[in-house]
Amino acid sequence: MITAEQKPLNEILDYISPYDRIILVGCNECVTVCAAGGRKEVGLLASALHLNFLKHGRTVEIKEITLERQCDPEYAEELVSEIDRTDAILSMACGCGVQTIAARYNEKPVFPAVNTKFMGASVSQGIWEEKCQGCGDCLLGITGGICPVARCSKHLLNGPCGGTSKGMCEIAPDVDCAWCLIWERLKALGMEKRYEEIMEAKDFRAAGGGGPRRIIRKDLSL
Amino acid sequence: MQNHKDILSDKSKNDKSKDKSVLVIGGGVGGIRAALDLAESRRNVILIDKSYSIGGLMTQLDRTFPTNNCDLCTVSPHLSETTRQLHLDLQPMTQLVELTGEAGNFIATLVTEPRYIDIEKCTACGECHKHFPDAVRFTPGLDPRAPTCMRYPQATPYSFSIDMEKITDIKALQKVCRADAINAYDTPKKTRVELASVVLSVGAQLFDPAVLDNFGGGQFDNVMTGLEYERIMSASGPFQGDLVRVSDKKRPKKVAWIQCVGSRGINKADVPYCSGVCCMYALKEAIVTKERFAENIETTIFYMDMRTYGKDYELYFNRAKNDYDIRMVRSRPHSIIEDSKTKNLSITYALEEEALQKTEEFDMVVLSTGFRIPETTLDLANRLGLELNSHHFARTDHFNPVKTSKPGIYACGVIESPKDIPETIVQASAAASMAAVHLPVVIDSSGAPEIFIPERDISGEKSRIGVFVCDCGFEIGGLIKVDKLIEFAKNRKDVVVSQAVGYGCSRDSMEIIEGLIKTHNLNRVVIGGCSPRTHETKFQDLLRRAGLNKYLVEIVNLRDQDTWAHIGQPKESQDKAFKLLHAGISGVRKSRPLIDQTLPMNQNALVLGGGVTGMTAALQLANQDIKVYLVERGPVLGGLAMSIQKTIEGDDVGPFMDKLVEIVLAHKNIQVLTKSIIVDHSGIPGRFKTGIQTGIRMNYMQLSHGVTILATGALPNRPDSYGLGTHVNITTQLELDAMIEDAPEKIKTMNHVVMIQCVGSREPGNPNCSRICCQTSIKNALRIKAINPDAQIFILYRDIRTYGFYEDYYMEARKKDVKFIRFSLDNKPIVRVENDQVSVFVDDIILGRKIQIQTDYLALSTGMIADDETTEDLSMMFHLPRTADHYFLEDHVKLRPVDMSVRGFFIAGTNHSPRTIRESITQALAAAGRAQTLLAKKEIELGAAIAKVDGSKCAACLICVRSCPFSIPFINEDGYSQIDPAKCHGCGVCAADCPAKAIQLLAYEDDQILAKLDGLFGELN
Amino acid sequence: MKIFEPEIVAFCCHYCAYTAADMAGSKRISYPANVKIIRVPCTGKVDAIHIMKAFEKGADGVYVAGCLQGDCHFKNGNTRAKYRVEQVQIILGDLGWEKQRVAMINMSAGMGERFARTALEFTQTIKQLGPSPIKITHTDINQQAIRF
Repeated sequence: MITAEQKPLNEILDYISPYDRIILVGCNECVTVCAAGGRKEVGLLASALHLNFLKHGRTVEIKEITLERQCDPEYAEELVSEIDRTDAILSMACGCGVQTIAARYNEKPVFPAVNTKFMGASVSQGIWEEKCQGCGDCLLGITGGICPVARCSKHLLNGPCGGTSKGMCEIAPDVDCAWCLIWERLKALGMEKRYEEIMEAKDFRAAGGGGPRRIIRKDLSL
Repeated sequence: MQNHKDILSDKSKNDKSKDKSVLVIGGGVGGIRAALDLAESRRNVILIDKSYSIGGLMTQLDRTFPTNNCDLCTVSPHLSETTRQLHLDLQPMTQLVELTGEAGNFIATLVTEPRYIDIEKCTACGECHKHFPDAVRFTPGLDPRAPTCMRYPQATPYSFSIDMEKITDIKALQKVCRADAINAYDTPKKTRVELASVVLSVGAQLFDPAVLDNFGGGQFDNVMTGLEYERIMSASGPFQGDLVRVSDKKRPKKVAWIQCVGSRGINKADVPYCSGVCCMYALKEAIVTKERFAENIETTIFYMDMRTYGKDYELYFNRAKNDYDIRMVRSRPHSIIEDSKTKNLSITYALEEEALQKTEEFDMVVLSTGFRIPETTLDLANRLGLELNSHHFARTDHFNPVKTSKPGIYACGVIESPKDIPETIVQASAAASMAAVHLPVVIDSSGAPEIFIPERDISGEKSRIGVFVCDCGFEIGGLIKVDKLIEFAKNRKDVVVSQAVGYGCSRDSMEIIEGLIKTHNLNRVVIGGCSPRTHETKFQDLLRRAGLNKYLVEIVNLRDQDTWAHIGQPKESQDKAFKLLHAGISGVRKSRPLIDQTLPMNQNALVLGGGVTGMTAALQLANQDIKVYLVERGPVLGGLAMSIQKTIEGDDVGPFMDKLVEIVLAHKNIQVLTKSIIVDHSGIPGRFKTGIQTGIRMNYMQLSHGVTILATGALPNRPDSYGLGTHVNITTQLELDAMIEDAPEKIKTMNHVVMIQCVGSREPGNPNCSRICCQTSIKNALRIKAINPDAQIFILYRDIRTYGFYEDYYMEARKKDVKFIRFSLDNKPIVRVENDQVSVFVDDIILGRKIQIQTDYLALSTGMIADDETTEDLSMMFHLPRTADHYFLEDHVKLRPVDMSVRGFFIAGTNHSPRTIRESITQALAAAGRAQTLLAKKEIELGAAIAKVDGSKCAACLICVRSCPFSIPFINEDGYSQIDPAKCHGCGVCAADCPAKAIQLLAYEDDQILAKLDGLFGELN
Repeated sequence: MKIFEPEIVAFCCHYCAYTAADMAGSKRISYPANVKIIRVPCTGKVDAIHIMKAFEKGADGVYVAGCLQGDCHFKNGNTRAKYRVEQVQIILGDLGWEKQRVAMINMSAGMGERFARTALEFTQTIKQLGPSPIKITHTDINQQAIRF
């Protein structure tokens, strides 16, 4: 899942303060699940914006709309009926959603209300951790299901480094050393041999080094 | 509540038992529970209490152990329930004067004292008290001038009573009452009622220590009983919940408790039995003192034996010592001396290990007094024709503790023996279950929902709101201008009728409102009046009578939260009233008809465990025509009780068990399934499906049942301590018990017998007390003495916990020269075997030296441990919680001691906690009784305030699944959250947490709450 | 000049705080009429949005009153409510408002005095803070539709 976190209120206010009519648009996918931009967060942000404007004696019209998925153009069409009556769009979706909206309604300014963070997983209620960097060439099959690219602070492919201590990474006492985890896991699986093998340097073209990536499925293309 | 006339009229000519009632005598917590259980299982019940409101002793307590909850919060749901029950007739100020006839056909004569107040009219406004403070009954305790004149703030019935003897000018009093509720000519009423059975739950009094001149109770300002101390700490007490000394109103720095005052004694005014609750309440009072008032108050408890034998009570004791630093002194002080100037108190006491007497000064001393049966109860017992035991408590059957000497009369609570609230509630449910056997279920009942006219479909209708503001006599109308409110409401959008009603809750006014709803075709109603907490159901019923859904009414609390709360601020209360009323009108517009969903109830019961508890529960249900599946994992019925020979009372367990097994096996309503294990489980409360594998071939079978009783028992403990298992003469008490029965000749040859207590209990790993061991060792010691009077018996103990009347046997054992030697956990006895000779070494604290006993036999009191494997499997299967030591955890340790948190599940016997056969039987009957209350409903009521998911909005994020306190939501096959209406408790946590706003809590939906906010802040004109 | 009388909304749980408020009334313990109660089954039902909307509509202060910690009739609804109140405090802080305008208060059903005392204390706090920063134009926004 893509995770996100609301931007500081001041930054959002800077973006939208010139406008009197705003659409605040949420997304019912990832950002709802990570509680950053679903209907509830849209409601809360709208309320906070109202409070701010009212304090300055302004009445700003804020239309709250939450789309099923902002990163699909069909869903973006739902804003058509409102777009003429708005001065700006504030999106609570991830960067994909913001860009889809911006591309569709290029005549209106579109601003992000959240910072898109990382591809992560929920550890427990209210906590999400980075698990994947989308390198395009998955190593999990040989690293015991633990990704060194995303979870080793140095992205080492042949770790650990000297900064590991009691299974933790030197950057912070609460960050696991990914390579210690990989070792423990391989040991548990009886695959210690695999650890001995030196991993070749990774081809980072698949990770975006070769420019924006794209997936094309001929069988689905119309 | 049922109309009086239905029951009071003399119907002796008509002997149809369906018209008969059960009489519950005594409206304490036990009586309330028994009456509610009977009413819920559709038996007519009359609850009488000689006092003017019900609640008994519990309502005077500040907080109760072991949860340290506020009692008002816990007891008030019970009390408000009582006024709701259809089959329950509550008669305060009423006593039984005569009982004739026999079980199934009693005739009772009841006398109701005059209250001089018409309950129907009284609004509990308190005007009478303001003007005639002496004429109302006062709160017992330290100060007769409690803040309100009701005994406790949530009095039931919600009404005052007048002490006529103290009134000189009745006309003046009548003038004061704006509700015209004073009836000066009220007279005692005598009625005759037909009864099928009687439940006696009159409780007991607490001992008045004023008769003891050595403690100065009632004489020294700062010496008080435990109950008086509770009143001081209570928010509704004389000092508004502030802990101060009576003498100078200063916060005490040193408080002492003296245990067993008047109990466990043989001196003047003493009783020999143990009151069973004082150790726990003293610990509670000491903890609450530290917790609520000041850490640095020194608390000391003087005690003889610390009797924390209840479920998890030992942990409470440990917390008191270790976490709260409460000082425990094992000593029985002789006297208290008061310093006439400072009013401080000196206690003189002796310690076991020191020869000298010590004197210490305290600021306050609390006397832990126990239960006494008052003279009035002796009279009552006489009128009922009941036998009492030597301590004047009701004598009951040894294998059925609620069955008195007279058929058809059952006892519960303290009248049977001293006990705490959970045990009282268990017995109350047991007594109710037994009493219910004497009469059939009432089929139709007046006031039942089915007699209402059908609900009008209001879908598509524009809001047509009726606003009715009650002036509540002077209480609202005298403080704010009701006519202005009416005028204001009239001009709101959608308001069709706006009208003042005299006493809105009186029958006349209710009829007027009902008529207006019908004639104006109203579809929503706002009532401005008193609190919805007390009156919502009343007005909901009114809407139903008028053909409207009951969720279309909004109660605006103009009295308790406005006029009463802002005395002397008429302008402010008027302004607030406008806003509250506006919020009510705005909110009711968004109200929607809701359905209290129902499903038919499966009438079968599943009982797990074929021991004495399971069999008793199964039999009790089967005798009331309920089909029971009795599932036992072993090859035969019987359980642990089969290995016990005799009870401490001297009864043979074997023949009793044989008979029980025989009856159960032969019963047409019981299907016994031995060698069976549970393999799967599904369904909702009232409609469960449980799969079992049964018999040698492990055939699969699916059982459909509405309720489940867990009676899977516990295991005898067998720790590797004190050489157990290494020598033939070192055994557990169970083996000694068998030997006494089977080989008395061996007993005759024994010169020395040693018993060690708390083996594997009350120590790390198994910190709780096994409850049964003290009496077991004393029982076996007495039996050995009977066979071989010369045998020297030593019982090595930490605390002797012979609660209640078991203390008699403790005393008898000491008289027969059984030697009791105390040891402590950090200095346990040592057992050595040399040349086939078993020797026990122990430090005798009183002698101050180590002694060696060469013994012929060493019996270890090993107690019980939970059957971890079984309770773990079942708790996973049924989603039931367990305690840290692997017993099942009941829903509420005080008020719902046999109900589990999953509705439809009940526990009884030793899978709840260690207990005796007799106590297990009580729990079995109670669990059966509770199960009956559910089955009697015939339909499963699912309520309406439940969370509802809009699947189209749900993002399946799992937040509700994780945040629900009861783990009810799950993501269904269609990929969205589903909340089972039968399981939802209606808290709304999920609705507030849902990031997609896909969940609404019905009756409290977001738009309803926001509409109320709109009303509060909207323009008022 | 007219004395400032704040508008205060108290979200009270049915089992404890609402009962305590009734009790304060039945004991005739006065507290400021500024406090208006909205009843909820459990404080766990109170959404951060409800608190924000109360401010939007013109409240000068909002508090949530639930059972004592550990005594919640629904296990932990009052703890959930506490976190949500803290969340609103952060938002108010970001807006440059005083965080004391929103609070969580715990009490048992028996604590009528505590209800009255805390109502008074909270009202005094808000009086000292003065009117809500939006007070000038708040009525305009009442007409807006609320959508989720």
